[in-house]
Amino acid sequence: MNRPRTSCAEIEHDLIAAATGDADAAAQRRVSEHVQQCGPCGGEFQRYRAIDGAVGLWRQAPDPAAAVPDARKRLEARLGEVKRRTVTYRIFPSPLGNILIALSEHGVSMVEYLGRARDLAHSRLGRLPGVEPLEDGAEVEAFYRELMEYLEGRRTHLAWPVDLRLARSDFHRAVLRATAGIPHGAVMSYAGVACEVGRPSATRAVAQALRWNPLPIVIPCHRVVGSTGALTGYAGDRIGLKQRLLAVEGVDTVKAQRDLKVPRESMYVRFPGDDSYCLPSCPSLGTAQHPHRFMFFGSRRLAEAAGLQPCSTCRPDLHPIAR
Amino acid sequence: MGQQPFEVVLEAHHAEIYRYLRRVTSHPSVAEDLSQDTFLRAYRAYRRLAPDANVRAWLFTIATNLSRNHFRAERRRNRAHAEARAARAQVDGAGPDGEILFNEARARLDRVVAGLPLKQRLAFLLRKVHDLDYEAVARSLGCSPESARAHVFQALRKIRRDLDGLALPHMEPQP
Repeated sequence: MNRPRTSCAEIEHDLIAAATGDADAAAQRRVSEHVQQCGPCGGEFQRYRAIDGAVGLWRQAPDPAAAVPDARKRLEARLGEVKRRTVTYRIFPSPLGNILIALSEHGVSMVEYLGRARDLAHSRLGRLPGVEPLEDGAEVEAFYRELMEYLEGRRTHLAWPVDLRLARSDFHRAVLRATAGIPHGAVMSYAGVACEVGRPSATRAVAQALRWNPLPIVIPCHRVVGSTGALTGYAGDRIGLKQRLLAVEGVDTVKAQRDLKVPRESMYVRFPGDDSYCLPSCPSLGTAQHPHRFMFFGSRRLAEAAGLQPCSTCRPDLHPIAR
Repeated sequence: MGQQPFEVVLEAHHAEIYRYLRRVTSHPSVAEDLSQDTFLRAYRAYRRLAPDANVRAWLFTIATNLSRNHFRAERRRNRAHAEARAARAQVDGAGPDGEILFNEARARLDRVVAGLPLKQRLAFLLRKVHDLDYEAVARSLGCSPESARAHVFQALRKIRRDLDGLALPHMEPQP
């Protein structure tokens, strides 16, 4: 009788693999050669085949009713919570230093100046309760590109979906919404914004709300200045940034005694609610009751870009302000 | 971005991952916790996953890692044996179709698989129940494909030994 070329111990691995559908063609050949000449291994082969079949049936055993859908429902509830808390962010270089942009499921929820820092440890985002920051690039990248275009003066609007949930209160949110209405190239006073939100005496509270603006540049708090035109403050002590942002938009600043200010006396004026702009000397403005509610434009072009017509009384189009 | 929304991933793979973890842990509530953790982790990491990645194999890797961490922590608490015994006692033998022969085999398989050393159990389930190829099994276990094969081989030997003498229903072998 012929003896098999491979020993039973040598063939065992291949035999199990062949019987359970895991062997390549060469191993299958070795196995069939061996089992033709070795009765006990033939029996083992059949046994492993039967076990493979039993495993095949075993794996189809059904779950207890509703176990999977119930587990799925509970998972979806937890995932929903996580999604609500999650903001994806990325930190980018910019001419204003490193900038963090964060995005929630509702829109852009934070823009933050980080200066030279480039990690989350230096950001407010990492310290906000109930917020789960997740570093990611893809979706935030598009906003970054638009922001760069804006800072280079190639874009005048950031029409972003914004999520104001990171603002500190409903009053702060109201202030931020009112501020978002100040057009590109214009400035308005803190007192004016206070009037816009129906709290004319809350000037300092407005300043605080803007100090905690979670979306600087996007919500243009740099367009809000003191009633005298003084820049007063920005993002802590970054008044230079405020000056640069205004300059990008075509609004000049001049040195005052202790501060920088916008030269209101040489800017075009819009009375709140009007659809026209005036010279600062326009007689129609002299009778206005709330001069701190005026909006000022750096140039006629900017006022007209905001949709305003020249005033028919003072005709700023015929007598532009000499610079 | 070429990625599917995460909801699609959940829809496609949740049931399978949950069943895998049930077989790994033999404990429904542990399986549910681990499958929740698997998908919450996956959600957080999903955006950084390469668009052409094998999402299914990736989920199995996360689930496998989490179950290994789970058993490691269990061991540390020195409760692994008590729980495994309790879980094995829970396994019920009643089959859907009342085939006594198969029910016996099924109960024995439940027991022997639950009693396999963890790496062998994971390798066996990934390969023989969820049909991952050896490359993917190896990635999930953090070992070489050869080691993955060896784990499956050892698991089958143990199953063979444990079912020795048991009449198995006649079944068409799998192709």
